[in-house]
Amino acid sequence: MTELQAGQSAQPLEVPRIETRPQRYRDVLIALAAFVLLALLPMVFGSKQLLDFVIRCAAYGLFATSLNLLVGYTGLISFGHGMFFGLGAYGFGLMMQKTGVPIPVAFVATLAMTFVVAVVIGAICVRLKEIYFAFVTLAFQMLIHSTILSWQSLTGGDQGLRGGIPRPPFLGIDLSNHLHLYITSCALLVIGLFLMRQIAQSPFGYTLRMIRDNATRASFIGIDVWRAKLTIFVLAALFAATGGMIMALFVSGAYPEFAYWTISGEGIFINMLGGVTTFLGPMVGTVLLLILNDTVTRLTEYQGIVLGVVILFFAIGLRKGLMDFVVEWFAQRRGEGRG
Amino acid sequence: MKRTRKPGISRRSTLALMGAGAVTFAAPWVARAQAKTIKIGMPTILSGRVAQLGTSSRNAVMLEVEKVNAAGGLAGRQIEMVIRDSKGQPQEAARIARELVNTDGCEMLLDGEASSGSFAVHEVARDLGVLCIHTCSEASSLTADPKQHIPNAFRCVRQGIHDSIVGAGYAAGIAKAKGLKKWATCSPDYAYGRDTTGEFVLYLKKFAPDVEIISESWPKLFQPDYTEVVTKILQAKPQALYSCLWGGDLTSYIDQANIYAMFTQMEVFAVNMADYTALTVVKNLPKGIHSGDRYIKTFPPTPENAAWGDAYKAKYNEYPTNWSWQNATAVMFLNEAVKKANSTDGKKVAEVLAGLTIKCPFGADGTVTMRADDHTLVGYAIGWGTTIPQEPYVPDVKAGDWKAIFELEADWKKSKGYT
Repeated sequence: MTELQAGQSAQPLEVPRIETRPQRYRDVLIALAAFVLLALLPMVFGSKQLLDFVIRCAAYGLFATSLNLLVGYTGLISFGHGMFFGLGAYGFGLMMQKTGVPIPVAFVATLAMTFVVAVVIGAICVRLKEIYFAFVTLAFQMLIHSTILSWQSLTGGDQGLRGGIPRPPFLGIDLSNHLHLYITSCALLVIGLFLMRQIAQSPFGYTLRMIRDNATRASFIGIDVWRAKLTIFVLAALFAATGGMIMALFVSGAYPEFAYWTISGEGIFINMLGGVTTFLGPMVGTVLLLILNDTVTRLTEYQGIVLGVVILFFAIGLRKGLMDFVVEWFAQRRGEGRG
Repeated sequence: MKRTRKPGISRRSTLALMGAGAVTFAAPWVARAQAKTIKIGMPTILSGRVAQLGTSSRNAVMLEVEKVNAAGGLAGRQIEMVIRDSKGQPQEAARIARELVNTDGCEMLLDGEASSGSFAVHEVARDLGVLCIHTCSEASSLTADPKQHIPNAFRCVRQGIHDSIVGAGYAAGIAKAKGLKKWATCSPDYAYGRDTTGEFVLYLKKFAPDVEIISESWPKLFQPDYTEVVTKILQAKPQALYSCLWGGDLTSYIDQANIYAMFTQMEVFAVNMADYTALTVVKNLPKGIHSGDRYIKTFPPTPENAAWGDAYKAKYNEYPTNWSWQNATAVMFLNEAVKKANSTDGKKVAEVLAGLTIKCPFGADGTVTMRADDHTLVGYAIGWGTTIPQEPYVPDVKAGDWKAIFELEADWKKSKGYT
């Protein structure tokens, strides 16, 4: 019997399929519960500051979690992810100011524009590795920031998009009403996190982890590494742009600072604070950073020193993000309990 | 070991209980006293490269607020300022402005933000309907553009267009007298730099049609090294140079240009030179730089202005800045408007503020006006002069003519499609 015949007669290898449906149902339930909880918050606490806080959490949370899809799951340390946050804010703001289309249309059109830009930039960047990838993404971010500053007739230059973003009501939702904006932001946050969770837990998500751990090996078993990296780069850009749109709605404008490298720096900082090994790490990091920022700004103008000390504590003291630390601590305790 | 503490209520517990009791009984009085105060919120920049904007604004506001409070407050209510740092980030400026109104209970806002931050706070004022006076943003479009107009926002700040009109008139006179035809420009590469330079050149050519711009340089904002810009200008060999660099950028530029003896080779017109922040920091201030007045205590040459400058210096051990007089004027406006309205209600105060003229140490004729149609400050002292290396730094300032400013400003608004 030739090898070929042997191969033909052999039974196909049974690969046990992991049933992901229960996990997805659990995620749907958690997402629904989280949304209901967030939606009930204004009824329990009347604080407008709390609503503002959650809206900002939604914007930064989507941005930071999408950055973690690149940093934590794929090993692509992007220093220029903020460009998509800025693109989202500007794309949406300009669309609403110049064309007067309904909000959902502007939302989808902004995502489409971000998609095109991310495909072009990603196609160039994801070929590069490590520090080269980081620096080229940073270079593209600065290019976009410079374009925003220079294209004054369209973007308003350093003064940003002025005159407010019109928010005509749609489907009974009036985003100029702060409560409606709050509920919409919460919905976008929950849907965004749910989708990112599904990406992270899908076979594609595990492919990304494999690329992060050993790209050569992944390539040898037939994975198109470039395509996988480009796909996640574009998907992450879309979620970052959604964050930017929430921020544009919150401040009723778009400013060049949204596309500056400091926004990307804040994203990295949030990931360091919250941790990159757990899915909710960046969300916890966002809440932590915003609480820190808001309380420290109230108390002192030397907030830079305080935030610096905090990041030193996490980087040198804990050597990991808060969620990484908590998860490890629980695992250790469970291990000790069994032992 | 024997325990020495006796059972029962300890001295500490007794004291704590007494304290709690006192607080409980005093609470209504404290609350009543608090209701009598009026909180005014102020988002501004207190950290980073332009922290001096915020600190000198805060100083001036506190100087004036103390006077108002000593005189009985705003309609009998003592002012409590709540001042927070936005770090120059528009999203932070918006957040803080909202927090000041929604959480801290501020009834009015003094917006000490520059550039994009002021537009972000403007949107908060539009959204919340709170009375807001911008005190630092010189961007003309903030009030000139009718799209920005809201009944509850005002701007108590000098404007680039006013400076350009007065500066170009002054420069054209010197250009004609000295035959300065070849000009170069060197201004920061952002909206303020480009707009102000464009407007200056426009009016300079209008007043002196022979003038020709032979070189333009646009260094980046906060650029540390100007060697390339200085050598480019020297190679072009202009007879005069215009610049609207400001603060640290201007002082770095002058220090570096001094090495190349630039100021002996051409007439220099630097609109933002005559501000103590720049005048006192430059190592060797060249004689004969032409500058607009930002703030100097000798212009307007009145005892009131000199006294105000000295009082500020005595309190803070430094001279005021351009931002200082603007913020002080905003508090003066609020005080007068509340007196006239006999109320601290934001709407009533806003109605009075539109078109209000008040006595002010920084007025060209001793008064300044909050123009009714675009809610912006006019009638402030504006002029140009030449520098000397020691006090009073700009001894002879030639005052601008507000009639001419109004006429040309109206034309400019038409050309921009604002009217």
